[in-house]
Amino acid sequence: MLVPVLALGGLGVFAVMGVVGAFVITGWLGQPIPVLGFEQTFDQPIDFPHTVHASLKQLDHVAADGQTMEGLGLDCTFCHRTVTTQANAGVPPVAFCATCHGVIGAEDNAELTILRDAADIIGDDGPSPVNWRRVHRLPDHVRFVHEPHIRYLTANPSEVKNSTDGVTEGPSGVCSTCHGNVAAMQQVEQVESLKMGQCVDCHRDNGAPTDCAACHY
Amino acid sequence: MTTAEFGTHNWGMVVDVDKCIGCNACVIACQAENNIPINTQDRVERARSISWIRVERYWEGDFPDAKARFIPIMCQHCENAPCEPVCPVYATYHNSEGLNVQVYNRCVGTRYCANGCPYIVRFFNYWEPVWPESLRNHLNPDVTVRSRGIMEKCSFCVHRIRRESRNARSAGVEIADGAVQTACSSACPTSALNFGNFNDPDSKVSKMKDDKRHYTLLDQFGTDPNVIYLAKIDADKKISAGEAATHG
Repeated sequence: MLVPVLALGGLGVFAVMGVVGAFVITGWLGQPIPVLGFEQTFDQPIDFPHTVHASLKQLDHVAADGQTMEGLGLDCTFCHRTVTTQANAGVPPVAFCATCHGVIGAEDNAELTILRDAADIIGDDGPSPVNWRRVHRLPDHVRFVHEPHIRYLTANPSEVKNSTDGVTEGPSGVCSTCHGNVAAMQQVEQVESLKMGQCVDCHRDNGAPTDCAACHY
Repeated sequence: MTTAEFGTHNWGMVVDVDKCIGCNACVIACQAENNIPINTQDRVERARSISWIRVERYWEGDFPDAKARFIPIMCQHCENAPCEPVCPVYATYHNSEGLNVQVYNRCVGTRYCANGCPYIVRFFNYWEPVWPESLRNHLNPDVTVRSRGIMEKCSFCVHRIRRESRNARSAGVEIADGAVQTACSSACPTSALNFGNFNDPDSKVSKMKDDKRHYTLLDQFGTDPNVIYLAKIDADKKISAGEAATHG
């Protein structure tokens, strides 16, 4: 009786070691494991749907009045305005959201209520920023600048990887190379590993500098 | 000659010692630009202060005819650098732009490079850098904050070089001579510090470095620095051209 129990325990130890090992190896290689829930995504203070704003396709989402919806098909650069000129893509200020959402959207929409409160349209506690959580974060010793990447990929559309449900023309069409099909994401998650190996592979393939001081300084 | 492409430049500096008034503006500018930790009294007393550029003062002659002399010293970005071959993890190396690069994320803190450097311009982070609450937002976002246990040194403000080359490529033009200025050279009130591209024969530094006053620090070690010094001119002393080459 004791032997099978011990054997079972041994198997259990091996199983645990296997799971830990797999976690370490996949973590090291930087591949997220969506099944186990390790993908890089966060609940945001406002449940912002990129589908509704960026997608050009029919959505699963059904509006409050029972009508089916099509995505708005906004350009990525409509909100992430500095992506073509600066290091950071930039998250729009609350007031920018409010230019549309002061009017558009149901008054009793819970998520929009948070936004309108932050933009000081409703409530009387003054404007306050929304504390978005950053999904795509590189380590502090990496200097990534969006501008040259967007410029290069816009000029060389054949290097663009992945595809998007959103706008594929101009600078907005190249974002999917690193960010995946954001237009189809209800909640944004990181789909590429964005580790140095991936950066270097792409830099080497495209004749970009692979000097350490190109990114680390 | 100059193009915005990577690796076509040879960045270097010409320091006209004759113009240096020892004001230390370069030291402060560097400290602010490069997120260098604050050198408290405690750190200075233990000889663990960090300053990528320093102005050394020395006296020439005996009292009462003694004269104060100043010489700014930063990483010389040697072509034949003693610090590079000793690093076991290749955290410091010479890149195609003539820079002696320190890769912070590779460094494991053996300090061999600092021991090898004859100019004493490499500094080790003995502590995690801390700044007072009032300076929370003063850090330069373009420069990595070095953590405890790694070496750091003058980078020739490589973030400014990157920024200017990016701007030039974006505009489809070449990097203009003088467009890239290090923090110290832009702060220097007398233009004693001059930064530029030695590969361009028409650049300001290329013309300056052929001055007959030119010399390099600790020339006998054969490090072939990318920082060229122009000797001090003494109005009371007549210096022949041959003498100027060895004059400090």
